[in-house]
Amino acid sequence: MNSPLRETPLHSRHVALGAKTADFGGWDMPIEYAGVLVEHEAVRTAAGVFDVSHMGKVRIHGPGAVAFLNSVLTNDLARIGDGQAQYTMLCNEFGGVVDDLIVYRWSDDEVFMVPNASNAPIVVAALRAAAPAGVSIDDHHDDHGIIAVQGPGSRAALEALGLPADHDYMTMVSASHRGEPVIVCRSGYTGELGFELVVPVIILGSVWDALLEKGAPLGVVPVGLGARDTLRLEMGYPLHGQDIAQDITPVEAGLGWAVGWDKPGFDGREALVRQREQGPRRRLRGLVSIERGIPRAHMHVHASGDAGLAGPVVGDITSGTYSPTLKQGIALALLDADIEVGSEVLVDVRGKAIRFAVSKPPFVPSSVR
Amino acid sequence: MNPDDLRYTAEHEWVRLEGDVAEVGITAYAQEALGDIVYVSLPAVGDAVSAGDACGEVESTKSVSDIYAPVSGEVTAVNDALDASPQDINEAPYAGGWLFRVRVADPAAVEALLSAAQYTEHTRA
Repeated sequence: MNSPLRETPLHSRHVALGAKTADFGGWDMPIEYAGVLVEHEAVRTAAGVFDVSHMGKVRIHGPGAVAFLNSVLTNDLARIGDGQAQYTMLCNEFGGVVDDLIVYRWSDDEVFMVPNASNAPIVVAALRAAAPAGVSIDDHHDDHGIIAVQGPGSRAALEALGLPADHDYMTMVSASHRGEPVIVCRSGYTGELGFELVVPVIILGSVWDALLEKGAPLGVVPVGLGARDTLRLEMGYPLHGQDIAQDITPVEAGLGWAVGWDKPGFDGREALVRQREQGPRRRLRGLVSIERGIPRAHMHVHASGDAGLAGPVVGDITSGTYSPTLKQGIALALLDADIEVGSEVLVDVRGKAIRFAVSKPPFVPSSVR
Repeated sequence: MNPDDLRYTAEHEWVRLEGDVAEVGITAYAQEALGDIVYVSLPAVGDAVSAGDACGEVESTKSVSDIYAPVSGEVTAVNDALDASPQDINEAPYAGGWLFRVRVADPAAVEALLSAAQYTEHTRA
């Protein structure tokens, strides 16, 4: 599978803005414009706009669309009402996470969802295979883009465009811009006040341009996927394919809050209920560096002790980076379940034993509400 | 953009020879490719380094890169200021962002490194 990289409709704008781009899930995406650190800082103090049009967009509609999805996805759609959004997962029969996604509940018969870019075809195929007659699964990956506007100044930036921005966290409003429908969902992947706009491709460029132009006085800058990763990791938000995956379950990842345990059925339920009762053998934990060192995915974690890196391996880093806010190394790691929060471990950073404290994310306080 | 009075390696280090002391840094091209540098690990003063050997690391928000000694000799100074402000490498790779200095055993070895024109050609290949 060596197909050419896909590009979002905003790709030429990213190039014109001087972005460095790279392959992300089969898409040539902007990684940084002015630099990860200044972009990260802008989102924490002003606002940033992100092109996340590589993410999937799927419409599920027809009589009983919500009831159908509720029998497949982990979270309980009865917990939210129409106009609300929810974080949920699609699991396999072993309880592993096929994908994590945001669902927008419009009515009992109308749902929109945003799966991860590279998983979107898998999610669409799985839902189509399971859907009852009358429920349709429409793939809108290519006719809509998604722009995230994140940061304390995001509300003012949207208002400058005449878009609604005073709704609650994890709710969405259908608006109109230049005569086209735009969904404004108050959600994001940064831990800041923020919005994700689902925009028809025909006006995607003009929305992007307007956000940068009218947002400029507010300090709004374009932000790439590099800062998106440092921002989400400071919140401890998992990334599918790293911290959660087909062989990592929501129970292990501490995502039991996004599972409707009382529901009669959903994909992976039996395996997850069993694992929850028995207790998982490993858990996703946070790590914060005590000494200088930056953890990276796949580094081994060793028990603390005089043996150093000769000591037993107690887990692996799933995501790691330098936290621009804390100016320390931070990571998510799958650790043996008996490694307690507050204890110390050693990370093998290219042959050096670097001390880390086991913690419970977020690493930086969330401001989403 | 690469100063003419310096010598360069294919591994993107530069060398400034003054007498028998060679100052070493990474090139503008290298810092641009790395992105924001957040951590630098350098050899210690007094260390003997050999040309071509990894003797330190430069780490950015997204990746880590070995620093290779461009020439053989003894380390006489390291840029301790980079501990507190590693971004100096991004902002002034040929000045405040220098990494360490080596008393070279054979100054002629520096002359054998790439010229600015040769290095520029190398980064275009």
